[in-house]
Amino acid sequence: MLSESRCLVSLGSSPSEENPGSPPFDLMQVPVLGPLFRWRYARPFLQAPLLVVSVAMILHGLFGPSLAPKNLASTLSWLHFRGILVLVLLCAGNFFCLACPFMLVRQVARRFFRPRFTWPRVLRNKWVSVALFVLILFTYELFDLWSSPWWTAWLIVGYFLTALLVDGVFKHASFCKFVCPIGQFNFVASTLSPFEVKVRHQDVCTTCMTKDCIRGRRDATSDLVVIRGCELALFQPRKVGNMDCTFCLDCIHACPHDNVGILSRLPGTELLDNSLRSGIGYFSRRKDLAALAVVFTFGALLNAFGMVSPVYAVENWLGKMLHVSHEAPVLGMIFAAFLIVEPVLLLGVAAWLTRAWGRVQRAFVPLAVRYSYGLVPMGFGMWLAHYGFHFLTGLYTIVPVTQNFFASMGWPWLGEPHWTLTGIPANAVQVIEIGFLVLGFAGSLAVTHALAEEDSPAKPLAAFLPWAVVCAVLFSTSMWLIFQPMEMRATLMSG
Amino acid sequence: MGIGSVRRCCFVLVVVAVVVGIGCHRPPHTLSGVMVEFQIQPKPVRVGPVVIGLALTDAEKRPVTKVRIAVEADMTHPGMSPVLGQANEVQPGYYESHLSFGMAGDWVILVHGTLPNGGTLERQFDVRSVRPN
Repeated sequence: MLSESRCLVSLGSSPSEENPGSPPFDLMQVPVLGPLFRWRYARPFLQAPLLVVSVAMILHGLFGPSLAPKNLASTLSWLHFRGILVLVLLCAGNFFCLACPFMLVRQVARRFFRPRFTWPRVLRNKWVSVALFVLILFTYELFDLWSSPWWTAWLIVGYFLTALLVDGVFKHASFCKFVCPIGQFNFVASTLSPFEVKVRHQDVCTTCMTKDCIRGRRDATSDLVVIRGCELALFQPRKVGNMDCTFCLDCIHACPHDNVGILSRLPGTELLDNSLRSGIGYFSRRKDLAALAVVFTFGALLNAFGMVSPVYAVENWLGKMLHVSHEAPVLGMIFAAFLIVEPVLLLGVAAWLTRAWGRVQRAFVPLAVRYSYGLVPMGFGMWLAHYGFHFLTGLYTIVPVTQNFFASMGWPWLGEPHWTLTGIPANAVQVIEIGFLVLGFAGSLAVTHALAEEDSPAKPLAAFLPWAVVCAVLFSTSMWLIFQPMEMRATLMSG
Repeated sequence: MGIGSVRRCCFVLVVVAVVVGIGCHRPPHTLSGVMVEFQIQPKPVRVGPVVIGLALTDAEKRPVTKVRIAVEADMTHPGMSPVLGQANEVQPGYYESHLSFGMAGDWVILVHGTLPNGGTLERQFDVRSVRPN
């Protein structure tokens, strides 16, 4: 406690104190939203509709039409959920994790099962979730999940069961922090969100004696926790940025001083911050987090590459070279090339050149780790372009699919499905895609340049140049990808 | 056995029953007396206009005539606009539909027919690997 208090005393000033002329905007002050978020049952209130939708998706996926465009499971999962997710992350923050339906089921299960174990120390990092993230991307391509409502439904069921199993056995939010691939995606993307759950005034925390935001609020007589503290081990006064924050509102509800808000900030600035973060440590020392950032960035390009015509030529060429006809090994090689070889080469050479040209004192690996976060904006730009494209060009398909869902349940209240309703024309959406990519490119340039300025005050341009080239390579590859003809095949190696 | 254990057992049983229940489900298999032979031109199929041929015969291999047929082409990925058309009877029992594929990839052709006796005909055919131009 003593050391904790010392840390609190040495904390810097709050953003509002740094910029007295422009205090951050606080979502908690917005009418309707503020009272809603302060309400103790806000989270289940937001989770319940998504749970109902999830159940409908599972039912339709398993029992409904097998054709993906006519099924709620595939249409909502691969078009609307992904599209809305990235747009909300861009415009607001990690509000999907707030409304996550898996956690509602977990909460109900914890009324029956009290987890007894703590998550194993050796697994308290992102390696398991990085592997699962890659596995999801791999199975998505290998089994063409987008074309199968059946497998999509089972994926959702699998998610529910895994969340139940992990959080049924292990205490706190082990599933969210160490397992959930969607959560990791959200954590990385939300580093670029304009809002952050943050204390309003550090001095209030300095004098706080209870630390309810992390310990939970206890009943005065029974000493039982009545309002949870942060289950992801993020101590509010020392929390930096959105990494690992599920926006669950627990700290907001637990704080006895009403000192936690959802504050505006400049998106991406936390990628520059290498201070000690509660529950995370130093960004530059977290190789697992850097691996997550790399998979997030290069996986964005890989996921888009899987949907354009050249991928089939590459697969066929590889298949002939290796004399294999099965897709898995060929796809595995493409994944290894995109997610291991390419990042290691690009980041390795760039880090080496930055040290050499910029005379940077930082060791090679921490330097590469630190700058890998700078590529996240470019990756997010690609996810936005890709998912935004599918979402916007298929925007209205939710109407006929919902009509079809109710009709197939025997309740044709919404009439005959209007299958010709699709979305915004592709050529109009392509302009938006380019905008996302330019935004991501500019963001990556800004972050890596700021890092170079910090690392090499004497030669910032020399330190920055290698990373500018890496960003340019990723940007030009992304632009090339979105101008490729789309080709959505389930049979990759048919020739 | 305490109340807590009973509640836990009930919860596990509910989860297992739901998972096993949905796992054991299989879509119903529909039968029809009409055989449909599907053809598509050109081959290999490319983006652009295609001609779909449907030969309808009954159990005795006799042509099934005067069927009203609507043809729908969908991509296997959700969110793509379907291509809709009619199939006209060009020979007794042989129907043709002219469609245009707008994108390379996998397509699914849905055939919705109304038989002269008022019965319905629903068939699905896969057109894999439509190639770009």
